[in-house]
Amino acid sequence: MSASPEARTLMQRLFEPQTLESMAPVPRFFTYGALLVWTLVVVFPLYWVLVTSLKVEVQVDSGPFYLPFIDFTPTLEAWDFMLLQNNTLGPYLNSALVSLVSTLLALLIGAAAAYALVRIQFQVKLAAVLTFILLVVGVIVAVAALDVPWAIAVAVAAALFVLALSTVVRRFRAAVGNNDIEFWMISNRIMPPIVAVLPIYVMFQHLKLLDTQVALIATYTGVNLPIVVWLTRDFFAGIPRDLEESAEIDGASKLRVFFTIALPLVRSGLAATFMLVLILTWNEFLLALFLTNANAQTMPVLVAAQNTTRGPQWWYMSVLIVIMIAPVIVIAGFLQKHIARGLLAGAVKG
Amino acid sequence: MRVRLDNIHKSFGHVQVVKGLDLEVEDGEFLVLLGASGSGKTTALRMIAGLESVTSGRVLIGERDVTNVLPKYRDIAMVFQSYALYPHMTVFANIAYPLMVRKTPKAEIAAAVQEVARQVQLDTLLDRFPKQLSGGQRQRVALARAMIRRPAAFLMDEPLSNLDAKLRGYMRAELKHMQHELGITTIYVTHDQIEAMTLAHRVALLEKGVLQQLDTPANIYNRPANLFVAGFIGSPPMNFIEGTLKDGLFTAPDSHFGTGTRATRTAAVAGMRPEDCRVTEPQDGKLTGTVYATELMGDHTLVTCRVGTATVTVKADKAFKRQDNEAIGVDFAEASVHLFDKASGERIA
Repeated sequence: MSASPEARTLMQRLFEPQTLESMAPVPRFFTYGALLVWTLVVVFPLYWVLVTSLKVEVQVDSGPFYLPFIDFTPTLEAWDFMLLQNNTLGPYLNSALVSLVSTLLALLIGAAAAYALVRIQFQVKLAAVLTFILLVVGVIVAVAALDVPWAIAVAVAAALFVLALSTVVRRFRAAVGNNDIEFWMISNRIMPPIVAVLPIYVMFQHLKLLDTQVALIATYTGVNLPIVVWLTRDFFAGIPRDLEESAEIDGASKLRVFFTIALPLVRSGLAATFMLVLILTWNEFLLALFLTNANAQTMPVLVAAQNTTRGPQWWYMSVLIVIMIAPVIVIAGFLQKHIARGLLAGAVKG
Repeated sequence: MRVRLDNIHKSFGHVQVVKGLDLEVEDGEFLVLLGASGSGKTTALRMIAGLESVTSGRVLIGERDVTNVLPKYRDIAMVFQSYALYPHMTVFANIAYPLMVRKTPKAEIAAAVQEVARQVQLDTLLDRFPKQLSGGQRQRVALARAMIRRPAAFLMDEPLSNLDAKLRGYMRAELKHMQHELGITTIYVTHDQIEAMTLAHRVALLEKGVLQQLDTPANIYNRPANLFVAGFIGSPPMNFIEGTLKDGLFTAPDSHFGTGTRATRTAAVAGMRPEDCRVTEPQDGKLTGTVYATELMGDHTLVTCRVGTATVTVKADKAFKRQDNEAIGVDFAEASVHLFDKASGERIA
């Protein structure tokens, strides 16, 4: 900063933080220009959705019309239909319930798992894991193909597992550590979800839970756990060990340390994670499409349903999209302070 | 309460950190565990706290064997080097935490917090958060949090090392006063020998996981049990000269002097503290050498001399003036010589 402008290299001058006010007129003009263009790119789709929601079919088909009151007469017809005549409230409440509950569950379970992975060294024998998988496959084959009653199959498998633990498994050294567990968790998200849709569908069909909020909540919680674990583990790892040890000596149980020391200290990170997972579930389409029908339908499915045999009903879709975006913007506004801090955590000291 | 370590061993994998430590801390005693980094002193303290498992041996607090007891049931309080204040809680909540966890009634907690806060002069800062406090204030919050419960023992892990030198001296005095007032057994870990000498009733000097000497500060200084203790305690450190000892006469390559003992060793080490030595004319000293360096320290001058292959430091008068490489003599009283067996390092007589 103190060096004269000539002494600074080109690279230094390019990357030195500057305020718009301190810039020379020409770069300032281009900077403002670039920012303006980008703002248009970001804002225009939102504006277009809002404007479209005020149109009727004719105005969309014979368009484009850009400015309400100037090149077309806005109407609340689409709003009237979607909010008062159509059952929009049902899917809206479904979406709210499912995404809020599953996000909170995923956050609670995932944060606890991440904390355990950071603070406890696991040494699970690889042979035990393989034996377990083998027995699960065995149970499925026995029940499905050989018509063995499932209670008997599970009991036999459990007995075999205990037997294996105390005999065969002990001979093997290879163990699964924390890194392996973490990688396994995140690997669940590598596979495209479409692969898992059919098994999940069949599972809930057997449980008679298809088209219920419970099915969606359970699925979303499971699907988002890896993300929560992956994101929050670094926040927990950043807590000085001393704090937790001090609390333990002061008389707190592990659970109490988790809830009164660890969780409050990572609340910024949790807020950022909450927001991300909430948006993921709020917008989730594929699983909702398969698992729901009329009762538990969520908003993304309802939006897609506006693509009818008469062609896409853009004005109805726009209404739905506007009311879908609104709460997310409000929540993001409330959590903004935390989110910025959470995303930066670890990047800067302090 | 009394704290006893009974033949404690601790290994991390194949590395032995503490090797058979026996220690008995009396009720109300201020014991300092002193050692360089890696000596096992912090590990020993953490084993007493229950933060580290014990590989073998027993830990007793009072008459109770707590070797396998969780930290929260040991009735101890610990002050960490980092203070470990809970950053999301106010000073009040920090100090109150040990009582809140124990579900003490609210009114009782408030009264207790007020009282300890007054003792450590924090009563006006109870609404602040740790990040709004200075280093010394944070340190006092950590102390208050430890004091509020009247535990069986205080454990302190280098609590003063994050303070600047001036504040450290002040807090040292405060700590000593407080421990005396409360009369609670205190085990204090430090690598700073001045803290150890000034604070402790007794000092336990550890090296490589082995207890070297357990004694009062004066005895540790005046009668070091072995070469390690002799070299560790004292600043500047003790001078060592190697030679042979025959019937109390110490013979080095270019000097010999009596030592006030009648011992005989083929390989021995004689040790003289810098303040027990004085510089003389070359012909008058028990040792002769040349001036290697002189450093004026303010109230005295440190004179480093080359004597044969050894280096001897002498604490001389502040008016001392000699050119480097000038010949010089070093003299000392026979009684002030510490003698050690070279092979075992143990003190002779």
